[in-house]
Amino acid sequence: MIAPAAARQPRLHHSLVLLVPAVLFGLLVTLQWRTQTERSELTVRYNTPLIDAANALQNEQNDLKSQLAVLRARLDEIQRNASTQSGAAKELQTRLDELKASAGLTPLSGDGVMVQLDDARNVSVTSRDVDKSICHATDLTDIINTAWKGGATAMAVNDERVVSSSSVYCVGSTIMVNGTLMSPPFNIAAIGSQNALLGAFDDPQQLQDIKQRRDVQGLGFHVTRAGAIHVPAYSGSLNVRYAVPR
Amino acid sequence: MRTNSGAIWAAIIALFLGVAVVTQFRSQDVYSRSLNLETPSSLTTLIANLSETNNELRNEISDLRRDVANAQDSVSSGRGSLTEGERQIAQLRVFSAQSAVGGPGVAIKIDGAFDERALSDLVNELRNAGAEAIAVNEVRVGPHSYFTGAADRAIAVDGHQLRGPWTVRAVGAPDVVYVAMTRIGGIIGQFELIYRNTRFAVSKETALDLPALVAASR
Repeated sequence: MIAPAAARQPRLHHSLVLLVPAVLFGLLVTLQWRTQTERSELTVRYNTPLIDAANALQNEQNDLKSQLAVLRARLDEIQRNASTQSGAAKELQTRLDELKASAGLTPLSGDGVMVQLDDARNVSVTSRDVDKSICHATDLTDIINTAWKGGATAMAVNDERVVSSSSVYCVGSTIMVNGTLMSPPFNIAAIGSQNALLGAFDDPQQLQDIKQRRDVQGLGFHVTRAGAIHVPAYSGSLNVRYAVPR
Repeated sequence: MRTNSGAIWAAIIALFLGVAVVTQFRSQDVYSRSLNLETPSSLTTLIANLSETNNELRNEISDLRRDVANAQDSVSSGRGSLTEGERQIAQLRVFSAQSAVGGPGVAIKIDGAFDERALSDLVNELRNAGAEAIAVNEVRVGPHSYFTGAADRAIAVDGHQLRGPWTVRAVGAPDVVYVAMTRIGGIIGQFELIYRNTRFAVSKETALDLPALVAASR
């Protein structure tokens, strides 16, 4: 029996309608599957205990930092009480306060700029461009360098105060500042003259690479004026073991 | 009847498609940033770094406990807390680069083409390796130091122009800092690939003398 042409037409139409999503579906399943198989056997076997260890150490670090903060405050309190007793102690206290401020051990508030740096979000990127669409340790060091050049008086990255021993460290695609694990977005708070800071960031000679990746790959990078920025005190250790004052 | 079953199939496929698209998007998003996706070797390095930071914190906590106890004793015996205060001042002056310092460490001599971003990265790497005091030629690097390019391929640190060859000196544990700089895939190895005609010489030093920080020249 020959089906009438009018009945065959919608059937063909249906198959075509299903073909497109089916192909797309297959493509996505494959993509998903390939992303997963790229992880090696070793990764699967050892990652869970290693991630647990890293998280446990980061939690321990947060605890140690609070203990350190309590002890610093306690010593400060004893010294402040003692400084009312003699002129020498009072003078010492003034010098200590000045040094603590310049070392970044006291919190600071003031006007300045906020810089936000973030991986490109929801942008389909080819694997060659992935590198350019995420933020790297060197982007942070470039931003920090630009802010100091613009006359910043105090700075923090995601609430970690930037001090003389601060470094931005990158392993794989994880970033650490002051030995603390961090992930994007990075909020860099810089206190200082707003015009001078904005001038430094707007300078076309500065941060050319970041600005280009913002325009092409959609990297998140914004600099905005901000009032009453709070920059916390440095909560890490003052590692002086080898250097002797001369 | 046929039209109905077609519509049901289309709906099911559309649903799966939606789920797949979302999963793919989410895995792209997390792809870059999750400890879950680090290799075991990266995780091991992260753990070593965290342990080191925590050890330094523990050392400082035990030093401070002693200082607090000593200060309490001194105050209650009427001597004031001058000794602990002096120790803290000495430490803070080194930490904030306000005093000249001496000590063991490493020296890195750079002879040839180099630039301010690479110098900034080198300083970052030295700090990361635990360097306690750093100087480029005779200019001490401070907490707010910045690096800029200058005329005639010079590099300026805090606005002070420095011509090559440059010597970057860092006080710290010589073995640790030396290995961090020269390890395979480390920063010096990378520089050697990028600045092919530049000579990089890293040496351990038993006694370095670094000047104190001077004000930036703007």
